[in-house]
Amino acid sequence: MAPTLSPAWRQRWPWAAGILAVAAAFGLQTQLYSGQVRTIGTIFMFVALALSWNLIGGYTGYASFGQVVFFGLGGYVTAALMTHAHWSFWLALPVSGLLAAGYGALIGIPLLRLRGHYFAVATLGVAEGTREIVTNLPDLTGGGGGITLPTVGAAASTKYLGNDGFYLVFLVLAALCLLVTALVSRSKFGFALRAIHQDEDAAAAVGINTTRTKVLTFALSGFLTGLVGATYAFQQVTIYPERLFDVELTVLMVVMVVIGGSGTVLGPILGAIGLQFLSEWLRQNYTTIHTLLLGAIIIAAVILLPQGLVNYLREARRNGDYSLLANVRRYRL
Amino acid sequence: MSGFFQATIYGLLQGGLLALVAVGFSLVWGVMNVVNLSHGAFVVLGAYLGWQLHSSLGLDPFLGMILVAAVLFCLGYAVQRLLINLVVNGPIFITLLLTFGLELLLVQGMNIVFTANYQSITTSYAGNAVIVGDIQLPLGRLLAFALAVVITVALVRVMSRTRVGMSIMATGMDRGAARLMGIRARHVYAVTFGLATALAGMAGTMVGVVDTFNPAAAGRFTLLSFVIAVLGGLGNMYGALVGGMLMGLVQAWGGYFLPGTWVNALAFLLLVVVLIFRPSGLVGKAFYSARLEV
Amino acid sequence: MSATPVLETRGLGIRFGGLKAVDDVDLQVPEGQTLGVIGPNGAGKSTFINLVTGHLRPTSGQVLVDGQDLTGAKPWVIAKARVARTFQIVKPFRGMTVRENVAVGVMYGPDGMTRMGPALHRADEVLEQVGLGAAAGRSPGELSVADARRLEFAKALALSPRLLLLDEVMAGLRPGEIEPSLQLIRDLKAQGMTIIVVEHVMKAILAVSDQVLVLNAGQRLMLGPPRDVLSDPTVIEAYLGHKYAARQAAAQAAQPTPSPSAGAAPTLPAASAGSEEVSPDA
Repeated sequence: MAPTLSPAWRQRWPWAAGILAVAAAFGLQTQLYSGQVRTIGTIFMFVALALSWNLIGGYTGYASFGQVVFFGLGGYVTAALMTHAHWSFWLALPVSGLLAAGYGALIGIPLLRLRGHYFAVATLGVAEGTREIVTNLPDLTGGGGGITLPTVGAAASTKYLGNDGFYLVFLVLAALCLLVTALVSRSKFGFALRAIHQDEDAAAAVGINTTRTKVLTFALSGFLTGLVGATYAFQQVTIYPERLFDVELTVLMVVMVVIGGSGTVLGPILGAIGLQFLSEWLRQNYTTIHTLLLGAIIIAAVILLPQGLVNYLREARRNGDYSLLANVRRYRL
Repeated sequence: MSGFFQATIYGLLQGGLLALVAVGFSLVWGVMNVVNLSHGAFVVLGAYLGWQLHSSLGLDPFLGMILVAAVLFCLGYAVQRLLINLVVNGPIFITLLLTFGLELLLVQGMNIVFTANYQSITTSYAGNAVIVGDIQLPLGRLLAFALAVVITVALVRVMSRTRVGMSIMATGMDRGAARLMGIRARHVYAVTFGLATALAGMAGTMVGVVDTFNPAAAGRFTLLSFVIAVLGGLGNMYGALVGGMLMGLVQAWGGYFLPGTWVNALAFLLLVVVLIFRPSGLVGKAFYSARLEV
Repeated sequence: MSATPVLETRGLGIRFGGLKAVDDVDLQVPEGQTLGVIGPNGAGKSTFINLVTGHLRPTSGQVLVDGQDLTGAKPWVIAKARVARTFQIVKPFRGMTVRENVAVGVMYGPDGMTRMGPALHRADEVLEQVGLGAAAGRSPGELSVADARRLEFAKALALSPRLLLLDEVMAGLRPGEIEPSLQLIRDLKAQGMTIIVVEHVMKAILAVSDQVLVLNAGQRLMLGPPRDVLSDPTVIEAYLGHKYAARQAAAQAAQPTPSPSAGAAPTLPAASAGSEEVSPDA
């Protein structure tokens, strides 16, 4: 039997583990060469994205299928501020996050009254619509032709960070998202989110201001996603609306969270890391058909592990039943 | 002014076809509460199949689409029975993810088999225009519109007067009660999905006649179907007709009056506004407003 | 004890399209009273509760809690005003333990406990009160019907309410399970709580109500002491139908002098032992 921990340690060991993991990630950088640094940096980016979606989609149960709108807005606000107003990236970054959060609060108020598929489709509609608006404001955003952030010469207010720099920024963002998720999941606020997810009417009946809670969470997830988008824009230097507002990014976020285990702290992290490694491996070994295989794997994962890896393991440990077949029967007609 | 009339007529013709593109999607959503993200891929698949039949066998697309419908019905039936039925009772993003994975599969499959080049089905007569006053009505578009409307009306008849249709409606309204009456829900769901993909395929073939297409167009058709389904009310087939026409008009007028792609932004704004104020759709009540799941 | 009624409704009503589900209901519930609410199916009883608790917005009339106008207020505002309710179809938070289910109300209700430790502790106290102390660590899905209803009770009591609205808490309970529920209501009554009990189980209504309100087709049919209401001919007609009432009236007319034993005045068949539900015939 595993040694039992004292109650104080039972509370604290996840925090210790988290801090250790982040510290290890910092240290890891010295061991990798440049190409790998880039790849791992991208993994951190997806970890942050997955965690931020998890707040509104996993804990609160409102599956935002337009989450990429915050990514794109964050990116374009940073692009506009750095290109037109010559702001430093470090100033543009938090401002982008805040503006994305504000947008989330604005659209959240009407949209969060919808439930289920309607909410998902409405957020998708907003994301697509916002992309179109961005495309049609070429003076501000460069329109369909894209916009290029200044990284060289006198116009560049911030020196380009390079692979190592972006590795660190994405790592910090991932750690931030991890911190926020951990705080939310253990706090009174987390209870409200879960209550709303599990029965919104009952939650309202016991005193939870569901409207305010949902909008706040949506704005928070928008803030975090916006920060990632801003960093991505700087990294890419030249950005286009189709890429920054790509629906596939949202779907990737959702897949990572669902496969890893939605509504948990560890789930999105595992899902992001796992899917990114898988995607990279497929891309290198099966270049022509890697997307095809990805689609097949997503189908298989969703059928075999609909509740995600972390939740599956938790329940299996509790019931002693590890059968995947039983898992398949769970949601079938 | 004639330019405006031309745009309006064009929009209506296109709208009828769009309605056929969307009606299957709306049906599946209304009956089974499944949002099929791969719907557009089936539309494009129908276009490619029609194109293949035309270029290999010289089969006229308006005839070939019957064959396309049959093939896609079987495919759709299998997909629902073997895959989607496995996750139907789960939270919504599970089915969304499954259908998204399916979309990836189908689109990449088509990319590999047919390449990403734009194609279109060129028949000798489709380009001929029927001229009424100042207005040009391309024959291909006219035929597509007429057929789309006919098929949609026929669909409504099938749903309300045949045993199959009624079992679909019953299952959509109250699955538990339907099962208690001996309706095999798994089979009914599969038939519904197969019907939807067959309709999508037929619409796709006709799209191939009037427009160019390639695998990447799948996403656009899915999104269009979303908007039309919401506008018309889920599961409401006449609603899909109305929604489709409205969409067609919005696109035509938008292209006529507005610069750039503002028209797309308009379409999405319309979608969001309708969702907020009349989620049951513009056309009367949604077919299945209260649903009981067992 | 103030004279302001804990709950007052004035002309309260809601219409869905052409249907008036609740129609012009005036009511005053003084502090400490237990009000039974009965009426045939579809009379608007649950709708009435939803109107009071903010889950539905009235199209006419007012809702006043302790004299404060809370018409159309959101459910959480009503909860903070110390008005708690149970749901007819139980709505537990399925992913949480029984204890956590109750703790949510403790944390977010009018007491607003911010620290989780004390909130969970208080939740345990409430669970003891309803007799679910032993099940505190279990998941709601594992509970029996009777226990699930007790959890609904506990979730409502977590708000330390002044006004408690019980929506058919006895439905589906076996005779042996009804008595503990009644005892719980009696205990709360003894503590001075104002309770509104919507029920079909007449035994329960008789056992705990000070007054009984009868709703029919959304309208207030009658308000009075339990026995008077249950033997009132118009109420019987509403429940059991026109034909039954006519038959009873004819039977009465055939006996010019009422005798003490046979031919007792017609009442809704629940005054005797047993807990039959009353279902109206066509």
